[in-house]
Amino acid sequence: MSTSTGALPPDSRLTPPRRRPVTTVTAAVTVAVVLAHVLAWNGTEFSPAALVQGWRGMADFAGQALPPDLSWDGVLRPGLQAALVTLGIGLLGTTFSVPFALVLALLAARTTAPNRWAYQAARSVLSFLRAVPDVVFALVFVTAVGLGPFAGVLALIFHNTGVMGKLWAEAMEEIDLGPRDALRVGGASGVQAAAHAVLPAVLPQFVGLLLYRFDVNVRSSLVLGLVGAGGIGFLVNQSIKLFRFDEMVTHLAIVMVLVVAVDQLSAYVRRRVGG
Amino acid sequence: MTMTSPTWPAPPGAAARVGGAALQVRGLRKSFAGRTVLDGLDLSLAPGEFLALLGANGSGKSTALRCVVGLERPDAGEILVHGRPADTAPPHRRMAMIFQQIHLVHRRTALDNVCAGALGRLPLRRSLTPLLFPRELREEAMVCLDRVGMAGRAAEPAGRLSGGQRQRVAIARALCQRAEIILADEPVSALDPAAAEQVVALLADLAHEQGLAVAAVLHQPDLARRHADRVTGLLHGRATLDTPAAALTAADLATLYAPDHQHHPDADQEHQ
Repeated sequence: MSTSTGALPPDSRLTPPRRRPVTTVTAAVTVAVVLAHVLAWNGTEFSPAALVQGWRGMADFAGQALPPDLSWDGVLRPGLQAALVTLGIGLLGTTFSVPFALVLALLAARTTAPNRWAYQAARSVLSFLRAVPDVVFALVFVTAVGLGPFAGVLALIFHNTGVMGKLWAEAMEEIDLGPRDALRVGGASGVQAAAHAVLPAVLPQFVGLLLYRFDVNVRSSLVLGLVGAGGIGFLVNQSIKLFRFDEMVTHLAIVMVLVVAVDQLSAYVRRRVGG
Repeated sequence: MTMTSPTWPAPPGAAARVGGAALQVRGLRKSFAGRTVLDGLDLSLAPGEFLALLGANGSGKSTALRCVVGLERPDAGEILVHGRPADTAPPHRRMAMIFQQIHLVHRRTALDNVCAGALGRLPLRRSLTPLLFPRELREEAMVCLDRVGMAGRAAEPAGRLSGGQRQRVAIARALCQRAEIILADEPVSALDPAAAEQVVALLADLAHEQGLAVAAVLHQPDLARRHADRVTGLLHGRATLDTPAAALTAADLATLYAPDHQHHPDADQEHQ
Protein backbone atom coordinates (compact mmCIF):
# COMPACT_ATOMS: atom_id res chain seq x y z
CA MET A 1 0.00 0.00 0.00
CA SER A 2 1.61 3.20 -1.17
CA THR A 3 -1.15 5.50 0.02
CA SER A 4 0.31 6.78 3.27
CA THR A 5 -2.08 9.68 3.38
CA GLY A 6 -0.07 11.55 6.00
CA ALA A 7 2.59 12.32 3.43
CA LEU A 8 0.17 13.57 0.79
CA PRO A 9 -0.94 17.19 0.47
CA PRO A 10 -4.61 17.68 1.42
CA ASP A 11 -6.94 17.22 -1.53
CA SER A 12 -10.39 18.72 -1.08
CA ARG A 13 -11.94 16.33 -3.64
CA LEU A 14 -11.05 13.36 -1.47
CA THR A 15 -12.49 14.64 1.78
CA PRO A 16 -15.09 12.05 2.80
CA PRO A 17 -18.62 13.48 2.75
CA ARG A 18 -19.69 14.45 6.24
CA ARG A 19 -22.10 12.16 8.05
CA ARG A 20 -25.49 13.39 9.04
CA PRO A 21 -25.48 14.55 12.66
CA VAL A 22 -27.38 11.85 14.56
CA THR A 23 -26.66 12.77 18.16
CA THR A 24 -29.80 14.86 18.79
CA VAL A 25 -32.04 12.29 17.11
CA THR A 26 -30.48 9.45 19.09
CA ALA A 27 -30.92 11.36 22.34
CA ALA A 28 -34.54 12.20 21.60
CA VAL A 29 -35.36 8.59 20.73
CA THR A 30 -33.65 7.35 23.89
CA VAL A 31 -35.63 9.75 26.09
CA ALA A 32 -38.89 8.79 24.35
CA VAL A 33 -38.26 5.05 24.80
CA VAL A 34 -37.38 5.43 28.49
CA LEU A 35 -40.45 7.62 29.04
CA ALA A 36 -42.67 5.02 27.37
CA HIS A 37 -41.39 2.35 29.76
CA VAL A 38 -42.01 4.56 32.83
CA LEU A 39 -45.56 5.25 31.70
CA ALA A 40 -46.14 1.56 31.03
CA TRP A 41 -44.76 0.63 34.49
CA ASN A 42 -47.33 2.92 36.13
CA GLY A 43 -50.14 1.98 33.75
CA THR A 44 -49.81 -1.77 34.42
CA GLU A 45 -49.37 -1.33 38.18
CA PHE A 46 -46.14 -3.22 37.87
CA SER A 47 -45.10 -4.17 41.41
CA PRO A 48 -42.39 -6.69 42.34
CA ALA A 49 -43.34 -6.09 46.01
CA ALA A 50 -46.83 -7.48 45.47
CA LEU A 51 -45.33 -10.58 43.90
CA VAL A 52 -43.06 -11.16 46.92
CA GLN A 53 -45.88 -10.59 49.39
CA GLY A 54 -48.09 -13.03 47.51
CA TRP A 55 -45.68 -15.98 47.80
CA ARG A 56 -47.93 -17.69 50.32
CA GLY A 57 -50.79 -17.90 47.81
CA MET A 58 -48.43 -19.40 45.27
CA ALA A 59 -47.23 -21.97 47.79
CA ASP A 60 -50.81 -22.96 48.65
CA PHE A 61 -51.56 -23.35 44.99
CA ALA A 62 -48.53 -25.56 44.46
CA GLY A 63 -49.48 -27.65 47.50
CA GLN A 64 -52.89 -28.40 46.05
CA ALA A 65 -51.60 -28.93 42.53
CA LEU A 66 -48.94 -31.49 43.41
CA PRO A 67 -48.85 -34.37 43.00
CA PRO A 68 -50.90 -34.30 39.77
CA ASP A 69 -53.97 -36.50 39.54
CA LEU A 70 -53.02 -39.20 37.06
CA SER A 71 -56.07 -41.46 37.37
CA TRP A 72 -56.72 -42.94 33.95
CA ASP A 73 -60.51 -42.97 33.81
CA GLY A 74 -61.12 -39.77 35.74
CA VAL A 75 -58.46 -37.47 34.30
CA LEU A 76 -55.98 -38.88 31.79
CA ARG A 77 -58.37 -40.48 29.31
CA PRO A 78 -60.78 -37.53 29.08
CA GLY A 79 -57.74 -35.25 28.90
CA LEU A 80 -56.22 -37.10 25.98
CA GLN A 81 -59.57 -37.25 24.18
CA ALA A 82 -60.01 -33.51 24.66
CA ALA A 83 -56.47 -32.93 23.41
CA LEU A 84 -57.43 -34.71 20.19
CA VAL A 85 -60.45 -32.43 19.87
CA THR A 86 -58.16 -29.42 20.36
CA LEU A 87 -55.89 -30.74 17.62
CA GLY A 88 -58.97 -31.17 15.42
CA ILE A 89 -60.10 -27.60 16.05
CA GLY A 90 -56.67 -26.31 15.03
CA LEU A 91 -56.56 -28.56 11.97
CA LEU A 92 -60.00 -27.70 10.57
CA GLY A 93 -59.66 -24.04 11.54
CA THR A 94 -56.44 -23.87 9.53
CA THR A 95 -57.50 -25.97 6.53
CA PHE A 96 -60.90 -24.39 6.01
CA SER A 97 -59.41 -20.90 6.09
CA VAL A 98 -57.12 -21.74 3.14
CA PRO A 99 -59.54 -20.95 0.27
CA PHE A 100 -60.67 -17.67 1.84
CA ALA A 101 -57.11 -16.65 2.71
CA LEU A 102 -55.93 -17.50 -0.82
CA VAL A 103 -58.58 -15.43 -2.59
CA LEU A 104 -58.13 -12.47 -0.25
CA ALA A 105 -54.32 -12.70 -0.46
CA LEU A 106 -54.42 -12.63 -4.27
CA LEU A 107 -56.60 -9.52 -4.14
CA ALA A 108 -54.51 -7.93 -1.40
CA ALA A 109 -51.06 -8.36 -2.98
CA ARG A 110 -49.91 -5.55 -5.25
CA THR A 111 -48.39 -8.15 -7.58
CA THR A 112 -51.72 -9.86 -8.28
CA ALA A 113 -54.47 -7.35 -7.38
CA PRO A 114 -56.69 -6.60 -10.39
CA ASN A 115 -57.16 -2.95 -9.39
CA ARG A 116 -56.71 -0.48 -6.53
CA TRP A 117 -60.30 -0.80 -5.39
CA ALA A 118 -60.16 -4.57 -4.93
CA TYR A 119 -56.76 -4.20 -3.28
CA GLN A 120 -58.03 -1.72 -0.68
CA ALA A 121 -61.21 -3.72 -0.04
CA ALA A 122 -59.31 -6.98 0.47
CA ARG A 123 -56.77 -5.26 2.73
CA SER A 124 -59.62 -3.87 4.86
CA VAL A 125 -61.32 -7.24 5.21
CA LEU A 126 -58.02 -8.87 6.20
CA SER A 127 -57.28 -6.10 8.70
CA PHE A 128 -60.70 -6.53 10.30
CA LEU A 129 -60.40 -10.33 10.57
CA ARG A 130 -56.93 -9.95 12.03
CA ALA A 131 -57.90 -7.19 14.46
CA VAL A 132 -60.73 -9.18 16.06
CA PRO A 133 -59.07 -11.75 18.37
CA ASP A 134 -60.05 -15.38 17.88
CA VAL A 135 -61.38 -15.45 21.45
CA VAL A 136 -63.88 -12.74 20.56
CA PHE A 137 -64.94 -14.64 17.45
CA ALA A 138 -65.33 -17.73 19.66
CA LEU A 139 -67.60 -15.87 22.10
CA VAL A 140 -69.72 -14.69 19.17
CA PHE A 141 -70.00 -18.17 17.67
CA VAL A 142 -70.69 -19.81 21.03
CA THR A 143 -73.84 -17.71 21.19
CA ALA A 144 -74.66 -18.71 17.61
CA VAL A 145 -73.97 -22.47 17.53
CA GLY A 146 -73.75 -23.18 21.27
CA LEU A 147 -70.92 -24.35 23.52
CA GLY A 148 -68.54 -26.80 21.91
CA PRO A 149 -65.67 -27.29 19.52
CA PHE A 150 -67.59 -26.24 16.38
CA ALA A 151 -67.66 -22.64 17.63
CA GLY A 152 -63.88 -22.89 18.05
CA VAL A 153 -63.42 -24.09 14.47
CA LEU A 154 -65.51 -21.20 13.14
CA ALA A 155 -63.59 -18.69 15.24
CA LEU A 156 -60.25 -19.97 13.95
CA ILE A 157 -61.42 -19.95 10.32
CA PHE A 158 -62.29 -16.26 10.62
CA HIS A 159 -59.25 -15.09 12.51
CA ASN A 160 -56.78 -17.28 10.65
CA THR A 161 -58.10 -16.09 7.27
CA GLY A 162 -57.09 -12.59 8.31
CA VAL A 163 -53.62 -13.50 9.54
CA MET A 164 -52.69 -16.03 6.87
CA GLY A 165 -54.15 -13.89 4.06
CA LYS A 166 -51.91 -11.03 5.16
CA LEU A 167 -48.82 -13.23 5.44
CA TRP A 168 -49.45 -14.81 2.03
CA ALA A 169 -50.09 -11.44 0.40
CA GLU A 170 -46.79 -10.20 1.77
CA ALA A 171 -44.98 -13.29 0.49
CA MET A 172 -46.38 -12.61 -2.98
CA GLU A 173 -45.34 -8.97 -2.88
CA GLU A 174 -41.74 -9.93 -2.25
CA ILE A 175 -41.17 -12.14 -5.27
CA ASP A 176 -39.34 -11.26 -8.47
CA LEU A 177 -41.95 -9.94 -10.89
CA GLY A 178 -40.02 -10.93 -14.00
CA PRO A 179 -41.76 -14.26 -14.69
CA ARG A 180 -45.16 -12.60 -14.24
CA ASP A 181 -44.22 -9.80 -16.66
CA ALA A 182 -42.91 -12.32 -19.18
CA LEU A 183 -46.30 -14.08 -19.21
CA ARG A 184 -48.27 -10.81 -19.25
CA VAL A 185 -46.32 -9.68 -22.33
CA GLY A 186 -47.35 -12.94 -23.99
CA GLY A 187 -51.02 -12.18 -23.38
CA ALA A 188 -51.72 -14.10 -20.16
CA SER A 189 -54.50 -12.67 -18.01
CA GLY A 190 -53.92 -11.58 -14.43
CA VAL A 191 -55.36 -14.80 -13.02
CA GLN A 192 -53.30 -16.91 -15.43
CA ALA A 193 -50.11 -15.02 -14.56
CA ALA A 194 -50.86 -15.52 -10.86
CA ALA A 195 -51.46 -19.24 -11.38
CA HIS A 196 -48.40 -19.85 -13.54
CA ALA A 197 -45.79 -17.36 -12.32
CA VAL A 198 -46.64 -16.00 -8.87
CA LEU A 199 -48.10 -19.01 -7.04
CA PRO A 200 -45.44 -21.54 -8.12
CA ALA A 201 -42.77 -19.11 -6.91
CA VAL A 202 -44.31 -18.66 -3.45
CA LEU A 203 -45.52 -22.22 -2.88
CA PRO A 204 -42.73 -23.14 -0.41
CA GLN A 205 -43.35 -19.98 1.63
CA PHE A 206 -47.10 -20.63 1.54
CA VAL A 207 -46.65 -24.15 2.90
CA GLY A 208 -44.23 -22.92 5.56
CA LEU A 209 -46.64 -20.19 6.70
CA LEU A 210 -49.55 -22.65 6.66
CA LEU A 211 -47.70 -25.02 8.99
CA TYR A 212 -46.66 -22.16 11.22
CA ARG A 213 -50.29 -21.05 11.46
CA PHE A 214 -51.39 -24.63 12.22
CA ASP A 215 -48.94 -24.63 15.09
CA VAL A 216 -50.25 -21.27 16.35
CA ASN A 217 -53.88 -22.31 15.87
CA VAL A 218 -53.53 -25.47 17.93
CA ARG A 219 -52.22 -23.29 20.75
CA SER A 220 -55.03 -20.76 20.21
CA SER A 221 -57.66 -23.47 20.34
CA LEU A 222 -56.57 -24.15 23.95
CA VAL A 223 -57.50 -20.59 24.82
CA LEU A 224 -60.75 -20.94 22.87
CA GLY A 225 -61.59 -23.88 25.15
CA LEU A 226 -61.39 -21.52 28.10
CA VAL A 227 -64.37 -19.56 26.73
CA GLY A 228 -66.40 -22.69 26.12
CA ALA A 229 -65.36 -23.65 22.60
CA GLY A 230 -64.43 -27.25 23.46
CA GLY A 231 -61.18 -29.16 23.65
CA ILE A 232 -58.72 -29.51 26.48
CA GLY A 233 -58.84 -25.78 27.24
CA PHE A 234 -62.41 -26.37 28.38
CA LEU A 235 -61.21 -29.08 30.82
CA VAL A 236 -58.46 -26.80 32.17
CA ASN A 237 -61.06 -24.12 32.80
CA GLN A 238 -63.35 -26.64 34.53
CA SER A 239 -60.58 -27.87 36.84
CA ILE A 240 -59.75 -24.30 37.86
CA LYS A 241 -63.41 -23.53 38.63
CA LEU A 242 -63.70 -26.71 40.74
CA PHE A 243 -60.37 -25.97 42.52
CA ARG A 244 -59.08 -29.36 41.24
CA PHE A 245 -55.56 -28.03 40.67
CA ASP A 246 -54.07 -31.56 40.65
CA GLU A 247 -56.32 -32.34 37.66
CA MET A 248 -55.37 -29.07 36.04
CA VAL A 249 -51.65 -29.88 36.23
CA THR A 250 -52.26 -33.17 34.42
CA HIS A 251 -54.20 -31.37 31.72
CA LEU A 252 -51.46 -28.78 31.38
CA ALA A 253 -48.88 -31.54 31.02
CA ILE A 254 -50.94 -33.04 28.18
CA VAL A 255 -51.15 -29.56 26.62
CA MET A 256 -47.40 -29.21 26.83
CA VAL A 257 -46.80 -32.55 25.10
CA LEU A 258 -49.33 -31.64 22.41
CA VAL A 259 -47.83 -28.22 21.76
CA VAL A 260 -44.27 -29.52 21.63
CA ALA A 261 -45.30 -32.37 19.30
CA VAL A 262 -47.13 -30.05 16.88
CA ASP A 263 -44.28 -27.55 16.99
CA GLN A 264 -41.69 -30.24 16.20
CA LEU A 265 -43.81 -31.73 13.42
CA SER A 266 -44.42 -28.35 11.81
CA ALA A 267 -40.74 -27.39 12.07
CA TYR A 268 -39.70 -30.72 10.55
CA VAL A 269 -42.07 -30.40 7.60
CA ARG A 270 -41.10 -26.77 7.05
CA ARG A 271 -37.44 -27.79 6.88
CA ARG A 272 -38.25 -30.44 4.32
CA VAL A 273 -40.28 -28.05 2.16
CA GLY A 274 -37.58 -25.41 2.40
CA GLY A 275 -39.98 -22.61 3.30
CA MET B 1 -27.55 -24.85 -35.23
CA THR B 2 -29.28 -26.97 -37.81
CA MET B 3 -32.33 -28.38 -36.14
CA THR B 4 -35.02 -27.37 -38.56
CA SER B 5 -37.95 -29.56 -37.79
CA PRO B 6 -39.99 -30.57 -40.82
CA THR B 7 -43.19 -30.37 -38.76
CA TRP B 8 -42.58 -26.76 -37.83
CA PRO B 9 -45.58 -24.61 -38.83
CA ALA B 10 -44.66 -21.45 -40.67
CA PRO B 11 -46.20 -18.34 -39.09
CA PRO B 12 -49.38 -17.46 -40.95
CA GLY B 13 -48.83 -15.01 -43.73
CA ALA B 14 -45.20 -14.40 -42.87
CA ALA B 15 -44.08 -14.44 -46.48
CA ALA B 16 -46.88 -12.15 -47.63
CA ARG B 17 -45.82 -9.46 -45.21
CA VAL B 18 -42.20 -9.28 -46.24
CA GLY B 19 -41.54 -5.73 -47.31
CA GLY B 20 -43.83 -4.08 -44.73
CA ALA B 21 -42.33 -3.45 -41.31
CA ALA B 22 -43.43 -5.85 -38.57
CA LEU B 23 -42.70 -3.23 -35.97
CA GLN B 24 -42.29 0.49 -36.30
CA VAL B 25 -41.49 2.89 -33.48
CA ARG B 26 -41.68 6.60 -34.05
CA GLY B 27 -40.70 9.44 -31.75
CA LEU B 28 -40.75 7.37 -28.56
CA ARG B 29 -40.19 9.46 -25.43
CA LYS B 30 -39.90 8.35 -21.84
CA SER B 31 -38.47 9.97 -18.77
CA PHE B 32 -38.18 8.73 -15.22
CA ALA B 33 -38.30 11.36 -12.47
CA GLY B 34 -37.17 14.12 -14.79
CA ARG B 35 -34.35 12.10 -16.37
CA THR B 36 -34.92 11.65 -20.08
CA VAL B 37 -34.25 8.06 -21.11
CA LEU B 38 -35.87 8.00 -24.54
CA ASP B 39 -35.64 11.20 -26.51
CA GLY B 40 -37.60 10.66 -29.70
CA LEU B 41 -36.50 7.15 -30.58
CA ASP B 42 -37.25 5.72 -34.05
CA LEU B 43 -36.91 2.02 -34.82
CA SER B 44 -38.11 -0.31 -37.50
CA LEU B 45 -38.00 -4.07 -37.77
CA ALA B 46 -38.97 -6.19 -40.75
CA PRO B 47 -40.20 -9.80 -40.79
CA GLY B 48 -37.29 -12.16 -41.35
CA GLU B 49 -34.83 -9.61 -40.05
CA PHE B 50 -32.46 -9.92 -37.11
CA LEU B 51 -31.75 -6.47 -35.75
CA ALA B 52 -29.08 -5.83 -33.12
CA LEU B 53 -29.50 -2.88 -30.79
CA LEU B 54 -26.22 -1.51 -29.53
CA GLY B 55 -25.55 1.28 -27.09
CA ALA B 56 -23.92 2.09 -23.79
CA ASN B 57 -25.61 1.46 -20.44
CA GLY B 58 -28.31 4.04 -19.95
CA SER B 59 -28.76 4.76 -23.67
CA GLY B 60 -32.37 3.57 -23.42
CA LYS B 61 -32.30 0.17 -25.11
CA SER B 62 -34.09 -1.76 -22.39
CA THR B 63 -36.60 1.01 -21.75
CA ALA B 64 -37.39 1.11 -25.46
CA LEU B 65 -38.18 -2.61 -25.56
CA ARG B 66 -40.18 -2.43 -22.34
CA CYS B 67 -42.26 0.40 -23.81
CA VAL B 68 -42.87 -1.54 -27.00
CA VAL B 69 -44.22 -4.63 -25.20
CA GLY B 70 -46.25 -2.56 -22.78
CA LEU B 71 -44.28 -3.08 -19.58
CA GLU B 72 -43.65 0.67 -19.45
CA ARG B 73 -45.97 3.40 -20.66
CA PRO B 74 -44.17 5.81 -23.01
CA ASP B 75 -44.70 9.54 -22.51
CA ALA B 76 -45.10 10.07 -26.23
CA GLY B 77 -44.57 8.30 -29.52
CA GLU B 78 -46.12 5.76 -31.82
CA ILE B 79 -45.74 1.99 -31.82
CA LEU B 80 -47.07 0.26 -34.93
CA VAL B 81 -47.35 -3.51 -35.26
CA HIS B 82 -47.84 -4.47 -38.89
CA GLY B 83 -48.88 -0.90 -39.52
CA ARG B 84 -51.51 -0.77 -36.79
CA PRO B 85 -51.14 0.96 -33.42
CA ALA B 86 -50.00 -1.60 -30.87
CA ASP B 87 -52.67 -0.67 -28.35
CA THR B 88 -55.62 -1.19 -30.70
CA ALA B 89 -54.35 -4.55 -31.87
CA PRO B 90 -53.23 -5.95 -28.52
CA PRO B 91 -49.55 -6.79 -28.63
CA HIS B 92 -50.40 -10.19 -27.14
CA ARG B 93 -49.36 -13.17 -29.16
CA ARG B 94 -47.64 -11.04 -31.79
CA MET B 95 -44.82 -10.00 -29.50
CA ALA B 96 -42.75 -11.94 -27.02
CA MET B 97 -39.94 -10.67 -24.85
CA ILE B 98 -36.75 -12.48 -23.89
CA PHE B 99 -35.03 -11.21 -20.76
CA GLN B 100 -31.46 -11.19 -19.51
CA GLN B 101 -32.79 -12.66 -16.25
CA ILE B 102 -34.67 -15.25 -18.35
CA HIS B 103 -37.67 -15.30 -16.00
CA LEU B 104 -38.74 -18.90 -16.18
CA VAL B 105 -40.59 -20.46 -13.28
CA HIS B 106 -37.84 -22.59 -11.77
CA ARG B 107 -40.06 -25.08 -9.99
CA ARG B 108 -41.94 -25.98 -13.17
CA THR B 109 -40.65 -28.25 -15.89
CA ALA B 110 -39.22 -26.87 -19.11
CA LEU B 111 -42.31 -28.18 -20.91
CA ASP B 112 -44.76 -26.46 -18.55
CA ASN B 113 -42.79 -23.22 -18.89
CA VAL B 114 -43.04 -23.43 -22.67
CA CYS B 115 -46.77 -24.22 -22.53
CA ALA B 116 -47.25 -21.06 -20.43
CA GLY B 117 -46.39 -19.07 -23.56
CA ALA B 118 -49.77 -20.09 -24.94
CA LEU B 119 -51.81 -18.81 -21.97
CA GLY B 120 -53.06 -15.84 -23.99
CA ARG B 121 -55.08 -18.09 -26.29
CA LEU B 122 -56.31 -20.58 -23.67
CA PRO B 123 -59.57 -20.22 -21.76
CA LEU B 124 -59.16 -20.09 -18.00
CA ARG B 125 -60.73 -23.53 -17.51
CA ARG B 126 -57.95 -25.12 -19.59
CA SER B 127 -55.16 -23.11 -18.02
CA LEU B 128 -55.68 -22.82 -14.28
CA THR B 129 -52.95 -25.40 -13.67
CA PRO B 130 -50.54 -27.18 -16.02
CA LEU B 131 -52.61 -30.35 -15.46
CA LEU B 132 -55.37 -28.81 -17.58
CA PHE B 133 -53.21 -27.91 -20.59
CA PRO B 134 -54.64 -29.57 -23.73
CA ARG B 135 -52.65 -32.41 -25.27
CA GLU B 136 -52.23 -30.53 -28.56
CA LEU B 137 -50.57 -27.71 -26.66
CA ARG B 138 -48.13 -30.10 -25.02
CA GLU B 139 -47.31 -31.50 -28.45
CA GLU B 140 -46.82 -28.05 -29.90
CA ALA B 141 -44.60 -27.13 -26.95
CA MET B 142 -42.47 -30.21 -27.61
CA VAL B 143 -41.98 -29.07 -31.20
CA CYS B 144 -40.91 -25.66 -29.90
CA LEU B 145 -38.48 -27.26 -27.44
CA ASP B 146 -37.12 -29.40 -30.26
CA ARG B 147 -36.63 -26.28 -32.37
CA VAL B 148 -34.30 -24.84 -29.70
CA GLY B 149 -32.59 -28.19 -29.12
CA MET B 150 -34.09 -28.78 -25.68
CA ALA B 151 -36.67 -31.51 -26.32
CA GLY B 152 -34.55 -34.00 -24.40
CA ARG B 153 -34.80 -31.93 -21.20
CA ALA B 154 -38.56 -31.28 -21.38
CA ALA B 155 -39.37 -33.02 -18.10
CA GLU B 156 -36.70 -31.27 -16.01
CA PRO B 157 -37.50 -28.36 -13.73
CA ALA B 158 -36.26 -25.15 -15.34
CA GLY B 159 -34.24 -24.38 -12.22
CA ARG B 160 -32.01 -27.37 -12.89
CA LEU B 161 -30.94 -26.23 -16.38
CA SER B 162 -27.88 -24.14 -17.16
CA GLY B 163 -28.22 -20.47 -18.08
CA GLY B 164 -27.92 -21.06 -21.81
CA GLN B 165 -30.40 -23.93 -21.69
CA ARG B 166 -32.86 -21.80 -19.74
CA GLN B 167 -32.58 -19.00 -22.25
CA ARG B 168 -33.30 -21.45 -25.06
CA VAL B 169 -36.36 -22.70 -23.15
CA ALA B 170 -37.48 -19.06 -22.82
CA ILE B 171 -37.15 -18.73 -26.59
CA ALA B 172 -39.20 -21.89 -27.02
CA ARG B 173 -41.85 -20.26 -24.81
CA ALA B 174 -41.91 -17.30 -27.21
CA LEU B 175 -42.34 -19.74 -30.11
CA CYS B 176 -45.17 -21.53 -28.33
CA GLN B 177 -46.79 -18.14 -27.92
CA ARG B 178 -46.68 -18.05 -31.77
CA ALA B 179 -45.09 -14.62 -31.54
CA GLU B 180 -44.20 -12.98 -34.83
CA ILE B 181 -41.96 -10.41 -33.18
CA ILE B 182 -39.34 -11.39 -30.62
CA LEU B 183 -37.68 -8.66 -28.59
CA ALA B 184 -34.69 -9.77 -26.58
CA ASP B 185 -33.29 -7.54 -23.83
CA GLU B 186 -29.64 -8.51 -23.35
CA PRO B 187 -30.47 -12.19 -23.87
CA VAL B 188 -26.86 -13.34 -23.54
CA SER B 189 -25.30 -10.88 -21.09
CA ALA B 190 -25.37 -13.46 -18.29
CA LEU B 191 -24.19 -16.38 -20.42
CA ASP B 192 -20.74 -17.80 -21.10
CA PRO B 193 -19.33 -17.18 -24.61
CA ALA B 194 -20.28 -20.59 -26.03
CA ALA B 195 -23.86 -20.41 -24.73
CA ALA B 196 -24.11 -16.79 -25.90
CA GLU B 197 -23.01 -17.78 -29.39
CA GLN B 198 -25.58 -20.59 -29.46
CA VAL B 199 -28.47 -18.39 -28.31
CA VAL B 200 -27.69 -15.53 -30.71
CA ALA B 201 -27.30 -17.97 -33.60
CA LEU B 202 -30.68 -19.45 -32.67
CA LEU B 203 -32.32 -16.01 -32.71
CA ALA B 204 -30.77 -15.34 -36.13
CA ASP B 205 -32.05 -18.70 -37.42
CA LEU B 206 -35.57 -17.94 -36.23
CA ALA B 207 -35.50 -14.68 -38.18
CA HIS B 208 -33.97 -16.12 -41.32
CA GLU B 209 -35.69 -19.51 -41.49
CA GLN B 210 -39.09 -18.78 -40.02
CA GLY B 211 -39.51 -15.17 -40.99
CA LEU B 212 -39.81 -13.89 -37.44
CA ALA B 213 -38.91 -10.29 -36.73
CA VAL B 214 -36.19 -10.41 -34.09
CA ALA B 215 -34.53 -7.51 -32.27
CA ALA B 216 -31.92 -8.12 -29.60
CA VAL B 217 -30.04 -5.78 -27.32
CA LEU B 218 -26.45 -7.00 -27.41
CA HIS B 219 -23.39 -5.84 -25.56
CA GLN B 220 -20.93 -7.75 -27.73
CA PRO B 221 -20.54 -5.90 -31.07
CA ASP B 222 -18.75 -8.95 -32.36
CA LEU B 223 -21.86 -11.12 -31.97
CA ALA B 224 -23.91 -8.45 -33.72
CA ARG B 225 -21.46 -8.28 -36.60
CA ARG B 226 -21.48 -12.03 -37.17
CA HIS B 227 -25.18 -12.80 -36.73
CA ALA B 228 -27.32 -9.68 -37.18
CA ASP B 229 -28.56 -8.29 -40.47
CA ARG B 230 -28.70 -4.71 -39.33
CA VAL B 231 -27.47 -2.70 -36.38
CA THR B 232 -29.26 0.22 -34.76
CA GLY B 233 -27.16 2.23 -32.33
CA LEU B 234 -28.68 4.18 -29.45
CA LEU B 235 -27.09 7.21 -27.84
CA HIS B 236 -28.85 9.24 -25.14
CA GLY B 237 -32.27 7.89 -26.03
CA ARG B 238 -32.08 8.35 -29.79
CA ALA B 239 -31.19 6.07 -32.67
CA THR B 240 -28.03 7.65 -33.97
CA LEU B 241 -26.79 4.80 -36.10
CA ASP B 242 -28.50 2.50 -38.58
CA THR B 243 -26.26 0.33 -40.67
CA PRO B 244 -26.00 -3.16 -42.14
CA ALA B 245 -24.21 -5.26 -39.57
CA ALA B 246 -21.42 -6.08 -42.00
CA ALA B 247 -20.66 -2.38 -42.42
CA LEU B 248 -20.31 -1.67 -38.70
CA THR B 249 -17.02 0.18 -38.17
CA ALA B 250 -14.77 0.67 -35.19
CA ALA B 251 -15.48 4.39 -35.40
CA ASP B 252 -19.22 3.72 -35.06
CA LEU B 253 -18.58 1.70 -31.93
CA ALA B 254 -16.25 4.32 -30.49
CA THR B 255 -19.02 6.93 -30.83
CA LEU B 256 -21.66 4.66 -29.26
CA TYR B 257 -19.51 3.60 -26.35
CA ALA B 258 -17.63 6.86 -25.75
CA PRO B 259 -17.01 7.30 -22.03
CA ASP B 260 -19.87 9.43 -20.83
CA HIS B 261 -18.74 12.53 -18.99
CA GLN B 262 -22.10 14.20 -19.13
CA HIS B 263 -24.13 14.45 -15.97
CA HIS B 264 -25.69 10.99 -15.95
CA PRO B 265 -24.94 9.94 -12.39
CA ASP B 266 -27.36 7.03 -12.54
CA ALA B 267 -26.75 6.04 -16.12
CA ASP B 268 -25.81 2.55 -15.01
CA GLN B 269 -29.11 1.93 -13.32
CA GLU B 270 -30.93 1.05 -16.45
CA HIS B 271 -32.46 -1.97 -14.73
CA GLN B 272 -32.80 -0.32 -11.32
